[in-house]
Amino acid sequence: MSAGAPGALDLDKLYTARLHAARVRPYLATALFALHTVESRQVPTMAVDRYWRVYVSPGFVDRTPVEELAGVWVHEVSHLLRDHHGRGDRAARLQGLEGPGARLRMNIAADCEINDDVFGDGLVRPAGAVTPQHLGLSGGELMEDYLRQFGLGPRTQGLVWLDCGSGADGMDREWDLGPDGAHGLSEQEQDAVRFRVAQGINGRPGNAPKGWKRWAEEAFHPPQPWRELLGAAVRSAASGAGAGEDYSYGRPSRRSAGLPGIVLPSLRRRPPRVSVVIDTSGSVSDAELGSALLEVAAIAQAVGGRRDLVTVVPCDAAARIVHPLCQGEGIALLGGGGTDLRAGFAKALRSGPRPDVIVVLTDGQTAWPAVRPPCRVVVGRFSRPKVPRWDEDDPYYRPDPTPPWARVVEIGSATAGR
Amino acid sequence: MPMDMPAVSQLDVAGDLLALLGETTTEPRPDNQLEALTLAVAADLPVLLWGEPGIGKTAALTQLAASLDLPLTTVIASVHEPSDFSGLPVVGDDPAEQGVPMAPPDWAVRLVRAGRGLLFLDELSTAPPAVQAALLRLVLERRIGALQLPPGVRIVAAANPRSSAADGWELSPPLANRFVHLQWTHDHDVVVRGLGGTWPRATLPRLDAQELPAAVDFARRAVCGFLTTRPPLVHRLPSGETRRGGAWPSPRSWDMTLRLIAFATAAGSSREVLSMLVRGTVGDGPALELLAALDRMELPDPEALLADPAGADLPERGDQRQAVLDGIVAAVNRRPEKSRWDAAWTIMVRALETGAPDLVVVPATSLAALRREEWDVPAAIERLAGVVDLSRRADRAAERTAVRTGVPAGARP
Repeated sequence: MSAGAPGALDLDKLYTARLHAARVRPYLATALFALHTVESRQVPTMAVDRYWRVYVSPGFVDRTPVEELAGVWVHEVSHLLRDHHGRGDRAARLQGLEGPGARLRMNIAADCEINDDVFGDGLVRPAGAVTPQHLGLSGGELMEDYLRQFGLGPRTQGLVWLDCGSGADGMDREWDLGPDGAHGLSEQEQDAVRFRVAQGINGRPGNAPKGWKRWAEEAFHPPQPWRELLGAAVRSAASGAGAGEDYSYGRPSRRSAGLPGIVLPSLRRRPPRVSVVIDTSGSVSDAELGSALLEVAAIAQAVGGRRDLVTVVPCDAAARIVHPLCQGEGIALLGGGGTDLRAGFAKALRSGPRPDVIVVLTDGQTAWPAVRPPCRVVVGRFSRPKVPRWDEDDPYYRPDPTPPWARVVEIGSATAGR
Repeated sequence: MPMDMPAVSQLDVAGDLLALLGETTTEPRPDNQLEALTLAVAADLPVLLWGEPGIGKTAALTQLAASLDLPLTTVIASVHEPSDFSGLPVVGDDPAEQGVPMAPPDWAVRLVRAGRGLLFLDELSTAPPAVQAALLRLVLERRIGALQLPPGVRIVAAANPRSSAADGWELSPPLANRFVHLQWTHDHDVVVRGLGGTWPRATLPRLDAQELPAAVDFARRAVCGFLTTRPPLVHRLPSGETRRGGAWPSPRSWDMTLRLIAFATAAGSSREVLSMLVRGTVGDGPALELLAALDRMELPDPEALLADPAGADLPERGDQRQAVLDGIVAAVNRRPEKSRWDAAWTIMVRALETGAPDLVVVPATSLAALRREEWDVPAAIERLAGVVDLSRRADRAAERTAVRTGVPAGARP
């Protein structure tokens, strides 16, 4: 079977490498086997397209050891599983990046995302694989984050030959067979393969590295940008019945004059009053708080609230203003008690006129009111790495869970997502 | 009057220019979104189109109405008052005696009189809450004031996504559960080509009258078989802010799914279309699981392959092929008999001859492990020598990797 005509693609070697890859990464086997191999003399090494075909250069297979080829298999299939072409297109649209230079940067950024965590543990990093360290960046980030951090320059000079195909950066190549070519996977089939791989990882979470676990968790529930979620929650709370624009029978409609005998309601608007309660316990950083507060103020204005109807209640024992408390960036929590948001709620509700919406910005390490407050509540919770808070006096201390009557939006770091 | 001449002719020229601009042609082009919409409307389920303003929802509805031969009534929700949908209260001579009738608007009367039509409720999300409440009753109960809409009237509503709706409109979970949510997006190529003068003409699905009983049978098997193995998915309220206002699984939405699978099957629709519809009724996660189960349903049955190993037709795609081979090994393991074991080897050889060899390694190894002492090794195994060689070379690669990375080779799973 092996050793055909000189220069022909050594399929046995290629498939041996795939077998090795599938053995050391069993959770990727479905995806590896779903790839359709196409021999191509135009690709420099191995490249994928967005329809799950892998284009292979016979020369590259000849000169590369099997164990490194296995690494290349995993690398290429990672581009597809992580939807780098779709994300590349999105990044191109959002950031206005176009042209081969930008796509090369995307390819490099995508490679960094993959190479910083797929190798090791039975899999050899292929020679010449680009890593974040290569570009002077720290590892563990997403393609979109890397993309913002470097430009083409001396450091990337050696990488211009790098080409993982249209599956890695979304730019069509001359060797691509295109959507109508044979053995392409449709979008739905691609999703099915991704789904099965994600299921395999979630089913046996012990075996997969952190990067893959994160991918599996987010593959079908991509994190949404918190700004949009917080905006939607505040908007919907502020424009619900009782506030905002709605119909009322309190005054007859202007239409009534022309329609004697018919009772019509009229459109009234009452701008919503928004109270922002801020957890100033020091565990929330200045920058986070500032951006969240700006966001809430902008949304409140967008739904018709006036600036004077947005109040800010810093929640701590003393009535301090917001700015000085925001300087606590990076300061660890002091003591075990910390903030008690019940005081903040009481204060916001005591203020007249009563707010229609209370927006709480907190890290969630607090007690909550026992009864539902008489207004809508939106909680913007700053997500914290899993460092449980520790109380010396009470080792079993657990912060209260967020109450069910509040709508909770997790405020994380800027999530680019899939 | 010569003075008026230039003005009139200028308008005429403008008219000519407009006519020229209006001269566009159409070309047939498969359109999955429109196909999904057509099937959902045909299945008489309330549809909610989610899409940014200005991406051609109305144009799609016009095309749909034309192809279904239904008169289209478009109602822009945001310019109406709640009483336009719940009925205008008309005070008569003696309200205490006769009650206050709720008079329906003229378009509703015309629709009821026609007995059939497509009612398009546009801009649901920009209407004030009271109007939305009245509209949802119209969609779900099919009543406008005292009027009941006849069965021949189909209703489609459209809304902007939460992030772009001016006032953060969203559906409560019980309401969201009653709709088929279709995401409406624009296709860049279609828009560019359309502005260039050629708009797509979608070929709409036709239900095949012969296929109906088989389609119902298939849909019932698919949904029931899936839910038997995944009881938690029968009813699962959406949790978290991200999935608010969207589709979620419940007995009601599974019933809708079943109906849509039957329609899509009878129409011979593609998996893409089915995927859109199922995601729109039970949500992304459960839909993907169901579709994955459907894929498995369509793979060849291991027992059938074992019964006729020489004629075995294995799937082309590597991952599916491996799933089939694994299934065969599992079937032999369930009922180990010499004849079945031999048949399985024949299939392994076939798989090796028609596809990539690396997929055969794991199933062949597991199959070899099933051997009983009294069973003779079949001659076919000779032809799997290449697989054994491949496996050995992979082992050696693993050893070399271990040397290079300093991790013992035995550590691999």
